[in-house]
Amino acid sequence: MVNSENTKAQMRKGVLELCILSILSQGDAYPTEIIEKLKETKLVVVEGTLYPLLTRLKNTGLLTYRWEESTSGPPRKYYMLTEIGTTYLRELQLSWAELVEAVNKTIQPKN
Amino acid sequence: MNKTVTINISGIIFHIEEDAYEKLSKYLASIKALFNKADGGNEIMSDIEARIAEMLQGKISAAKQVVLMIDVDFVIDNMGKPEEFVSEAAEAGDPLADDAYETQGSPVRRLFRDGDNKVIGGVCSGIGHYFGIDPVWLRIALLLLFFFAGSGFLLYLILWIAIPEAKTTADKLMMKGEKADINNISKAVKEEAEQLKKRMEKYGKDFSKASRRGAPRNAAEKTADFLADVFTGIGRVLLKIFGVAMVIIGLLLFLALFGLESGMTALPTNIEGQEWINLMLLDGKDFYIGLIGIALFLGIPVIMLVYFGIRILFKLRYGNRWINLTAGLIWLVGLAMLMYIAARTSQDFAKVAKLRETVQVQAADTLILKMNEVWVNYGELEISDKDEEGERHYYRGHKTGYVIGKHDQVKYLLGNASMNVIKSQTGKTELVIVKEARGGSKDMAKLRAKHIAYTVSQTGNTLMFDDLFRVNSLDKFRGQDVTAILKIPVGTVIYLDKSLESLIYDIENVTNTYDGDMINRRWQMTEEGLKCVDCEGLISVKDHLNGVSNDDSDDEVNINVNGVNINAKDASIKVDSNGVDIHSKESKVTIDKHGVHVDTKSHK
Repeated sequence: MVNSENTKAQMRKGVLELCILSILSQGDAYPTEIIEKLKETKLVVVEGTLYPLLTRLKNTGLLTYRWEESTSGPPRKYYMLTEIGTTYLRELQLSWAELVEAVNKTIQPKN
Repeated sequence: MNKTVTINISGIIFHIEEDAYEKLSKYLASIKALFNKADGGNEIMSDIEARIAEMLQGKISAAKQVVLMIDVDFVIDNMGKPEEFVSEAAEAGDPLADDAYETQGSPVRRLFRDGDNKVIGGVCSGIGHYFGIDPVWLRIALLLLFFFAGSGFLLYLILWIAIPEAKTTADKLMMKGEKADINNISKAVKEEAEQLKKRMEKYGKDFSKASRRGAPRNAAEKTADFLADVFTGIGRVLLKIFGVAMVIIGLLLFLALFGLESGMTALPTNIEGQEWINLMLLDGKDFYIGLIGIALFLGIPVIMLVYFGIRILFKLRYGNRWINLTAGLIWLVGLAMLMYIAARTSQDFAKVAKLRETVQVQAADTLILKMNEVWVNYGELEISDKDEEGERHYYRGHKTGYVIGKHDQVKYLLGNASMNVIKSQTGKTELVIVKEARGGSKDMAKLRAKHIAYTVSQTGNTLMFDDLFRVNSLDKFRGQDVTAILKIPVGTVIYLDKSLESLIYDIENVTNTYDGDMINRRWQMTEEGLKCVDCEGLISVKDHLNGVSNDDSDDEVNINVNGVNINAKDASIKVDSNGVDIHSKESKVTIDKHGVHVDTKSHK
């Protein structure tokens, strides 16, 4: 049996950015929360993947954060979308819709 | 009871068990290395550390105050291994991760051939990447070397085979990886030293307690481990040095070899060496087989030396197994060729032939025997015993050996002849010249013997013996030899001139006088053999052997009824019934019944 895990993982990675921005559009969150939400929808990545990605998005200006004190450890970064981030997200959502439609058409057999 | 370490992560203090600490340390270091050069790398690092601290805090309580190994494992599982999040982020098109991977992912730069930027094989491009220089310079250098007996071509070939091509992305990144400049090298050395120090410290600690990590190793095993580590470290350095040495020596040897073969070389070679090869080997295809055989037999080891030297130097591990096999086979072919040639050549030495020519000699009461320096007037003769002015030095004792001479663009093989004097059985004075040579067949040997040229000339009662016999180089060196045997009847007196010293060989005489003592004296043939006529004060053979120097007798002054005999170091005066004979280094005067002869260097 040829292993399809690799391809599946590829597919997931491709949409990671979109999902993170979407989650944040629903409310501010810190990395652990984001991971939890992803897990809920069965989109699993390791935490370590998130940090560099979030930092990049922040540096690009799509995200920003604030500090919050925590009782269970060091202070946390709470991320949220910026205006540019929101616009960017809408664009990604549009292209995602297009992509889904195109792919569905392709894989559905024509009768 | 276990030892704990106190650390702080993101400002939070933790007590952590020693082995857990090791693991966490390594983990954090690997992540740090990953994001070291990335933009905002520090920020990412501190974010991750904060999260790790948060995770660990969740694992600590009043009941469990120390971070254990399983806690660290938990952290790593959740946070992910560095490979995991880098590749994921990279696939997601995260340029940040790409940067991190590209600028750090690869360790020290490694040598590869650049297949994407190649002119011929990507050798110069690859080396250019490694050293950070423009490949153009390398191509120029290689081209120059090409004119040095084509060594550039061979060097390129060796490099092409030794250096692997960068095929995978990982390879390509390592090709352009972290620059191997002085800083990095010293950093690498320092890191190695640090590692070594840590190992030694750990060894010191481990030695006194049992390790919990695996089966406890006893002291002997630990010492062995430690020594192995240390020696591996030292060994790596030595191996590097060895690699450099091998390459340099190999290249030099190769240049020398090639120069020898082609005659085109920058090193001083012995021209005669090449000549000898010509003279020894047979002609035609055998000659070329011999040449190729030598080239392969000596060349292959040299090439492999350079090849392995390069491999060691640049840590090229992907050795082509076929190379070793092929090289070995080619070398064996060379060996086989040499053995074949050796067999064939020795075959040509198998049979020996001796030719005897008898020449009539005009008899006389006293015959003066001298040596004639053959070709002394011809310039380009490489006879090694001539000094700068072309003066021949007289030797003590018989001279053997061969030399190559050139005259009118033709090369000749010259050998030292021998002379002997024995009693004539027929009562006639005659000269027998024995020419000896070897060949594959008796006829071949005879032919070669016939081709030997040797002259003895007579002027009045002086016989001039050539010192060298001549062989045409086409005949090759095949053990040619010449002996001139003078047969004189009883009663004849001969005078052995000093010049004959290198020519005569064990002339039998009644008093068993050593050859060296026989010269400059008169000997008369008697029934029993040669007897000395004017040997007053002659040192006996015994004295001579005991080291009483012949110089004494040469310093001798002898004036008696037979005449005057004065011998100085490089001069002599003889006055007797035959006349006057005065020798000195640069000239000689002879007065006898034929007249006055004056020989000076310019006046012969």
